[in-house]
Amino acid sequence: MGGRAERIAFWGSGAIVALVIAIGLVSPLIGYDPAAAVDYEQKLLGPGAGHWLGTDAQGRDVAMRLMKGTEAFFLPGLMAAGIATMAGALLGAIAGYAEGWGRTLVVGFLQLVDTLPRLIFIILVCTILNPSITLIAGVAGVLFIPSIATVIRRKVEALGSEDYILAHVAHGFSTTRILLYHILWLQARPLLIRQATYVFGYVLFVETALSYLGDYGVQEPTPSWGNMVAQTRELGGASAWPWVFPAVAIAVTIAAFLAFGNLLARRDEEAIR
Amino acid sequence: MSRLLDVRDLVIEFDTRHGRKRVVDGVSFHLERGEVLGILGESGSGKTMSTLAVLGLVGGRPGVVQGQVLFDEGAGPQDLLADLGRVVKPRGDRLVKNDRRWQRLVHRTMRPLWGRAMTAVFQNPRHSLDPLMTIGAQVEESVRLAQPELDRAGRAGRAVEWLARVQMNDPKRVHSSYAHELSGGMCQRAMIAVALARAPMLLIADEPTTGLDTTVRAEIVALFRELLADRRRSMLYISHDIREVLFLADRIIVMRHGKVVETVAVADLKAGVGERHPYTASLLAAADLAFEAAA
Ligand SMILES: Nc1ncnc2c1ncn2[C@@H]1O[C@H](COP(=O)(O)OP(=O)(O)OP(=O)(O)O)[C@@H](O)[C@H]1O
Ligand SMILES: [Mg+2]
Repeated sequence: MGGRAERIAFWGSGAIVALVIAIGLVSPLIGYDPAAAVDYEQKLLGPGAGHWLGTDAQGRDVAMRLMKGTEAFFLPGLMAAGIATMAGALLGAIAGYAEGWGRTLVVGFLQLVDTLPRLIFIILVCTILNPSITLIAGVAGVLFIPSIATVIRRKVEALGSEDYILAHVAHGFSTTRILLYHILWLQARPLLIRQATYVFGYVLFVETALSYLGDYGVQEPTPSWGNMVAQTRELGGASAWPWVFPAVAIAVTIAAFLAFGNLLARRDEEAIR
Repeated sequence: MSRLLDVRDLVIEFDTRHGRKRVVDGVSFHLERGEVLGILGESGSGKTMSTLAVLGLVGGRPGVVQGQVLFDEGAGPQDLLADLGRVVKPRGDRLVKNDRRWQRLVHRTMRPLWGRAMTAVFQNPRHSLDPLMTIGAQVEESVRLAQPELDRAGRAGRAVEWLARVQMNDPKRVHSSYAHELSGGMCQRAMIAVALARAPMLLIADEPTTGLDTTVRAEIVALFRELLADRRRSMLYISHDIREVLFLADRIIVMRHGKVVETVAVADLKAGVGERHPYTASLLAAADLAFEAAA
C-alpha cells in the first residue's frame, strides 16, 4: 500500500496543513487595524500588484484579511480538538475498563451528549449565551467527546480480552500504564489523529456556517473566512474576487486537514504493523 | 518454611445458558519451593482454569471461585481467596457475586504478587506479546519493575542479557524486533524472557509449546529445564504431552472432568512403582506407542 498517488496526497495535504499552521502561528504577531484599512478609492480591485488577491467592497486588502482570518478558527480549532481527543480518550478508557458507578456515570454522560444534534446545539448555545468563537469551539469539543470515547471504549474492550494484555497484568504492569501507554498511545494513536483533525476541520466549518448565517460568528470588521464569504450578499454580483479566495481557502483547508489526518493515521498504522 | 503453594478444594463455576457449570470440581494440589509440578489432562479438564485461579485471573463475568489458595512468600501462608467469599451470596440455587467488589478485592490481593511473586507464560506466544512494542522494550518493562535502580542503558543491557539467556541467536537484533518479525519459537523464548526478567518465585507455563514444531518444542522444554536447574524458582507446567512433563517435572497431577484423578512422583512413574489410574495408564501407553513409532 501507499502508492505514488497516496504519497503525493500525503505531502500535498501536509504542505497545506503546515502552511495553515504557520499562518495561524504568525498572524497574531502582525498588527492589523480593520478601520484604518478601509479605503473606498481602492474598492473591489482584482488581484494585482500591491493587492495580490485584490480588495473588498471597502477597499481592504483581501490577502491581509485572509491571513488575519485564520485567527478566528486556528486556536479555537486546536482547543476543540484537544478537548475532544483528550477527554474522549480518557472517558472512553474509563467506560471500557471500569466497573460500577464510575462507568455508569460516564456512559450516561456520553449517551446524553451524543443525542444532541451538533450544529443546532451550537446555534442554541449562541442564542442563549454571549457567542464567542472560543465558546463555540469549547462546545464543539465537548460535542465530539462521545464519538471519540465510543471508538476508544470499543478498542479497550476488545483489547481487554487479548492474551498480551492478560500477560501484562500477570507480569504486574500497572493498570494505568497498560491503559494509557499500551492501549491509548500504542493502539489508539491513529484513531486519535483522525478524530483530532476531523474536529479541527469541523470548527472551521462551524465558524463559516455561523458567520454566513449572520449573528453568531466572528463579527465585522474583525475578519474571518466565514464573514468574508458572507460579503457576497452585499456585493450583489458586482465582483467575485472578495469571496472567491476565502471560499477556496475554506474548502481546501478542510479537505487538506481531513486528508492529512487520514493519511497520517494510515502511515502510523502501517509503520507499526 | 511451608510449601510455596497449597491449593485446597478449589471449585470454579460458571453460569451459562444451560445453567450452572462446575468446570473445576474440588481440585487440590501443592507445590514445594524449587519444585516443578506437571499438570496433565485432556482438553477442557480444567487445567487452565485451576492455574488462572492461582493468578486471580479467572475471567468470564459470572465465574465464581471457591476454596483455598495458600501462597507463602516466606512470611507464612496467605489465602489468596480468603476475602472473596464475602462478595459471593447464594440466591436460590445459584451463587451470585458482586463483580466490581470481587475485581477490587482480587486486585488488592494480587497487585503486590503479580510479576514479582508469580507470573505466567501462556500458549500462543505470538499473541502474548504486544504487537506494537519491540521485544527489547517489553523485556525492559519487566526489568524496570524488577530492578528500579537501573538506568536506561542498564535496563537495555540487562534485556539483551535476558534474550541471550533464553538462547536467542542474535539477542541485539531480537531486542529491536517486533513479534511479527520472529518465529513462533522465538516469540515463546521472548515471552519467557519477559516473564523471568520479573524474577518471579512461581512461573506458570500453560501449554507453552502448543503450536510449535516438534524440534522447537524440544528446544523450549530443554530451555525451561535449564532455566529452572538452580531450583530458585518453582513452576506449574501444563501440558497435553506426557513426555514433556516426564522430562521436566518432579511430580505430576492428572486432571479429568475438573477433578484431579492422580498425583504421582515422576520417579515413581518412571520406575513403574504402584498402581496407575486407568486414565494415566492410557496416557502412558499412548506415549509409549508414540516412542515406539518414532524408534
Ligand atoms: N467463561 C466461561 N464460561 C463458561 N465455561 C467456561 C468459561 N471459561 C472456560 N469454561 C469451561 O471450563 C472448562 C475448563 O476449561 P480449561 O480452559 O481450564 O480447560 P483446559 O484443561 O485448560 O483445556 P485445554 O487443554 O483445551 O486448554 C471448559 O469446559 C471450558 O469450556
Ligand atoms: Mg488450557
